[in-house]
Amino acid sequence: MTNAVAADRPRVAVRIRLAWTLLSFGTLALAACLLAPLVGSTPIHLTTVFDRSVPYADNIDAQIFWVARLPRVLAAAMVGSSLALAGVVFQALLRNPLASPDTLGVSAGASLGAMVAITFALDFSLLGVTAVPLASFVGSFGALAIVYGLSAARRRGTSTIVLLLGGVTVQALLSAIIAFVQYLADFTQTFRNVRWLMGSLDVASYPPLVAAFIPMSLAWAGFATLPRVLDLISVGHESAAARGVDVERSERVALVSASLATGAAVALAGPVSFVGLIVPHLVRLMVGADHRLVLPASALFGAAFLIGCDLIARTIIAPLELPVGIITAIIGGPVFLWLLFRKS
Amino acid sequence: MLRAVDVSFSYKRGRRTLRHVLHDVSFDVDRGTIVGVLGPNGSGKTTLVRIIAGMLRPDSGRVLLDGDSVADLPRRELARRVALVPQETQTTFDFSVIDIVLMGRYPHLGPFELERPADLEIARNALRATGTETLESRSFATLSGGEKQRVIIAAALAQASDILLLDEPTTALDIGYQFEIAALLKRLNADHGTTMVVSTHDLNLAAALCERVVLIKSGHVIAHGPTAETLTAHNIRLLYDVDADVQFHERAGHLTVVPLGRT
Amino acid sequence: MAAVSKILKHAAVAVALIAATASLKARTTSESGADLPPSREALRRTAVALAEAGQVGRDAVRPQRIISLVPATTEMLFAMGAGNRIAGVSDYDRFPPEVSRLPKVGGLLDPNVERLISLKPDLVIVYDTQTDLKQQLDRARIPIFRYAHRGLPDITETMRSLGDRVGSKAEAEAAASRMESQLAAVRTRVAGRPRPATLLIFGRDPGALRHIDASGGLGFLHDVLELAGGRDVLGDLKQQSVDVSTEMVLRRAPEVILELHYGESLKTERLDDERNVWKALPSVPAVKNNRVYLLRGDEFVVPGPRIVMAAERFARTLHPEVYAR
Repeated sequence: MTNAVAADRPRVAVRIRLAWTLLSFGTLALAACLLAPLVGSTPIHLTTVFDRSVPYADNIDAQIFWVARLPRVLAAAMVGSSLALAGVVFQALLRNPLASPDTLGVSAGASLGAMVAITFALDFSLLGVTAVPLASFVGSFGALAIVYGLSAARRRGTSTIVLLLGGVTVQALLSAIIAFVQYLADFTQTFRNVRWLMGSLDVASYPPLVAAFIPMSLAWAGFATLPRVLDLISVGHESAAARGVDVERSERVALVSASLATGAAVALAGPVSFVGLIVPHLVRLMVGADHRLVLPASALFGAAFLIGCDLIARTIIAPLELPVGIITAIIGGPVFLWLLFRKS
Repeated sequence: MLRAVDVSFSYKRGRRTLRHVLHDVSFDVDRGTIVGVLGPNGSGKTTLVRIIAGMLRPDSGRVLLDGDSVADLPRRELARRVALVPQETQTTFDFSVIDIVLMGRYPHLGPFELERPADLEIARNALRATGTETLESRSFATLSGGEKQRVIIAAALAQASDILLLDEPTTALDIGYQFEIAALLKRLNADHGTTMVVSTHDLNLAAALCERVVLIKSGHVIAHGPTAETLTAHNIRLLYDVDADVQFHERAGHLTVVPLGRT
Repeated sequence: MAAVSKILKHAAVAVALIAATASLKARTTSESGADLPPSREALRRTAVALAEAGQVGRDAVRPQRIISLVPATTEMLFAMGAGNRIAGVSDYDRFPPEVSRLPKVGGLLDPNVERLISLKPDLVIVYDTQTDLKQQLDRARIPIFRYAHRGLPDITETMRSLGDRVGSKAEAEAAASRMESQLAAVRTRVAGRPRPATLLIFGRDPGALRHIDASGGLGFLHDVLELAGGRDVLGDLKQQSVDVSTEMVLRRAPEVILELHYGESLKTERLDDERNVWKALPSVPAVKNNRVYLLRGDEFVVPGPRIVMAAERFARTLHPEVYAR
């Protein structure tokens, strides 16, 4: 019973690994959030930002900090963590390491909503949120409803496949409708549509962040119930069920949470590519496969990653700015190829 | 210990019945025995296993575990009493062997509880019992078929349940590994008195491993009882439409079945 | 273009004359009747040949069924009095009101080639970038006029070359000169006034300071801004349009913000709300001094004759003091 076990590396208790993971990734994310607003194409000084003697209306540094940069960094944190979490959950739910928040069409639904708002010049707002993000969120919800309906109508034992097929079909259908809406658009609207599709974190105000926070926090609450369950489900539906997991309910929670998170993220900043695909893989390289570590680490790393990409996007060709989606693609693409080659 | 009483089941869509799968299936499993559920593909074996594991509800009849109806037990409690070894395990992500075995402790932990040293010890013991303790830190995906199945059995052992349910445990394995698993299961039963229900279509596995067999064809139990009395050429003909020669083999130390041709 | 058609016309007449002379010399009887004396027949043939030559020449010089896929050239054609010779316009033509009665044949991204050809045009004005369309029209032997979208001086240059192509050279010259003098008048009027740093915005999300698209120092609207006495605050970037972040706006601190709104996109009741969106950046001089202007109209989108109106509106907005009387 007490014989020494021959192991390659001593097994560190999951409690310790979890604490260590939260500490290190948490520090990274926090540092990114605190430092990024201070860095940019325009030099600003923290002392000036908080200098009470200068009235706010005249304090350029303060306005750059509070209007131009801080909302942007917070948006990057929220979008980065939401997309990364959604990526982890979709990969586990679909049992496919190549899955991403885009796979099931939720992202396409959000894009369609935005495109309709732009092309048909919809003009309304709700609680400080304007037409395009609102329509975008409604679009994502519509896509989720279709995919959810398809998966609820499934037969036992084929859930993953039906979900994947249904989701991919929805994604293809919505992409076709997006193409049609773009066809209807005139030159200016097409230009705006294309710009929206490249993603932009420059939210410049706090109401959109608060609005996005509502569905995101619901999603995060759902994610919190999932870590161990995702481990068990990813080893097999049957064995998970036999170990006491309510597989159907957990899959529903996973699908809805990941879709809410994706919908809110895309509504806030447009579709930002590669974050949901790459971050989970990078995190697994660092902490292993246990979802109890991967989920929180992905949230924190996703936030730091997107904050970093946005920082590069807004400084690298100053005074001009690149859309953040280009930076995530430039970094994400090669990393993804490298991951693929590593596996094979 | 385990008793199936007139279990019937059919697959439905809405109210419409698609396919009758099980009809009034009844049999007993005594504590500490290995019972085989035998039948051709499509006979309803897997459905029966799922019902015993609580994953499906029978249309009529009950499965009783020490007197408690399986369908009425809460999931986690059922999982503490019945452990399932599925036919094959495909992992999407790169879990290590000890990771896989620790998942068997899930029914014993609270929803947000993390494993303690005691759980790790139980997992290691399970690895030792299946002869896989040297594989602890290996990536599960890199193991051979036999090693994988032994680790999955270890995970089921770590679940510390009263009964082990094995769904076609050797069907996906080469003959060498088949022997390995059969020997392991026999040893576990001999050393620890583990009660097992093994579903299989492999007659020789059942002959080697099981003390009692339940023969199922098209959802009906056509015979059940001690292996020597039940696994006869007559019953095999009924079950598989195959002429077979059933002999006690001296060197093997158990019955062997030699198929001779179709009837 | 005009030179080539002149040569063609001369060549056609020459051929006709040679043919007439040859038939006179040959003294053959006509096919239609042996009654006509050779000289009469020759004259008949000459007359027909001359008429045909004239026909070809006339169409080449003065097309009667023009299709304009470019709203700017449509307006130019009307300005030079050739509006009655337009057979079709693009989906996006809005001015003058007469275009609503003309057949529509698509636009830059989606020209309806079938419809276009079915209207039997003898000249089609296309965008230089519509390579597929140009090839199809070449194959159908339909003459084309290539239009390229550039700066302010190109507007009058295009007007003149288009006038020459459609046989309204004098009228086009008059219209172009009129435009030039009107633009010069604007320039003179604001001359000597200090040029405010101006952010010229082509579009942004309604109700929010997001996806701001502004002039970056190139293009006809930038030229108009400079002519009207403004200084493009992003002029050093030398781009047709720039994606502007709020940090850029704060950094560049424009003294005037001009937002252009086309068509019906900005309703009157929303004007104040849209202007107030800028209050989020109070340090920007344009916001502080209440110099954020939302300009509505189509004259900003079309680099044609109405660009003069755009120039005047810019000038009035930037330098109200010189227009005060």
